Amino acid sequence: MANSLISKMGALRIVPVIFTQPSRNTTTKHYIPKFKKQRAQKYLKVELPDPNEDFGSLSSSKIRQKMKERGILPPRPWMERPFYLSATGGVFEPYVPPEGDGKASIVSATRAKQAVELLEKKSKSMMAIRKIKSFEEEFDQKEFVLQAQDTYIKAHESLANNDKKALRIYVTEKAYPEFRHNSHSKTIRWKFIESLEPPRVVHARCTDVISKENIFGQVTVRFHTRQQLAVYDRFGRLLHGSEILSKDVLEYIVFEKHLSNLYGTWRIHDKIIPDWTPPKEPSKLTRVMPEPEPEVVESTQTTESAVTTPELSEKPAAPAIAN
Amino acid sequence: MNNFLKNLCIIGLKSNQLKSIHTSAPALAWSKTDNKPKRFLRHNNKIYPPQSPDEEPRPAFVCVQKTNIKYSPEKLWYIASFVRGMTVDEAIKQLSFVPKKGAIFVKEAILEAQELAVKEHNVEFRSNLWVAESFSGKGMVIKGIRRHARGRMGEVRYQFSHYFVRLEEGKPPVDYYKRNPQTPQQQLANWLEQMRKRKIINSY
Repeated sequence: MANSLISKMGALRIVPVIFTQPSRNTTTKHYIPKFKKQRAQKYLKVELPDPNEDFGSLSSSKIRQKMKERGILPPRPWMERPFYLSATGGVFEPYVPPEGDGKASIVSATRAKQAVELLEKKSKSMMAIRKIKSFEEEFDQKEFVLQAQDTYIKAHESLANNDKKALRIYVTEKAYPEFRHNSHSKTIRWKFIESLEPPRVVHARCTDVISKENIFGQVTVRFHTRQQLAVYDRFGRLLHGSEILSKDVLEYIVFEKHLSNLYGTWRIHDKIIPDWTPPKEPSKLTRVMPEPEPEVVESTQTTESAVTTPELSEKPAAPAIAN
Repeated sequence: MNNFLKNLCIIGLKSNQLKSIHTSAPALAWSKTDNKPKRFLRHNNKIYPPQSPDEEPRPAFVCVQKTNIKYSPEKLWYIASFVRGMTVDEAIKQLSFVPKKGAIFVKEAILEAQELAVKEHNVEFRSNLWVAESFSGKGMVIKGIRRHARGRMGEVRYQFSHYFVRLEEGKPPVDYYKRNPQTPQQQLANWLEQMRKRKIINSY
């Protein structure tokens, strides 16, 4: 009997795939297939919308057809580009901090070269400050420097408090995105402890933009301060720095003012990072290293044509996204 | 009668278009609003206060939703509760063997959440996640008409559903549903205890 059982079960091995795969046993089919059509006619055909439709993958002609169906007009092409005139887009003739903050050996080649250049630059700075004084009579370097430090502290505090409105007062439109970069959904704890050396003006420049009367002034101030910084991520886990450690910071900050504007103010515009700065501290956040991308193997023409065809077919889809 | 119903609908559409000034999109009821739940994704924007170094680091989490799936929310619920409390890898493995339409959506949502966690929410290892929350919701319902005997009408509901998932960093709890399962030894000990405690009536 055992033999016969085995032989019976053995037949199971040859059963087609349909029966070995999991499948439904129940059926919704009616037992009389004769009136199938009439039964279907009981339902009024409703066109269901597809809410998760991917318009990016549709061809432009298909999208045009769909928009016609729904009676939607194509969007107007918007060719305007906003630009801002009350701040310049960069630093002109940026200050080059001397090698090792002026403490490098006099014998070094770069130091010697910089010393020669410095003379020429100093006279230009003097001229620029004279020009600033022609617009702003009470401009005094000693007072300005204190005001600059106040702006510097307030700008950083408003960044730490996530106060966007206040930040706009202390920072130019060019520096604003640079300030806010990477600060999204993070908690910043920043503290200004003391100024190690009194801040001083090291560089000044003036430029006109568009017309001769439209003048911008830029003043670079050297800060040597002691600060504390700790950055936490969304879940309150420490990403960078520490709240108990303070560090000495040497910075060259560019302040800008629209001199022609009666209501212009001195705002932080940029930061000059010298090439001799020590390398940045690595982030405490560790990540899995991404796998290297597979190398493209040089192949024959037949495969190349196969590769290029999807690109061609994708091209009509590109304006579709714009729609 | 079918023709009559069709005519009714067509007239309704036409008059609607004539009445309104904007004859475009609002003619279709479903394109009026966004029809998407918004509250669940707001959890992703919440910023927690910093922790001191001696505290246990707060586990990261991500919320992801899939909206307006053409599937019944009741059917989706079974799949949603099936993956609850599993690790991500286990959930994906199990879902690929569930022969239901909804399993595909759930799997997609979990994979999307996993990707998001690694990219934007500072999760280091993509496998170090578990399904902390998983549930379905009711989406839009489009009502159709079907014909009944004696000139009556019936309503057909074309249902759409939402799926919500929250992945949390770390290992899943051992007993997610708090069923408190006992080992065979514990069961035997309990049984013995119970048998010994019983009172034989009229014995003493």
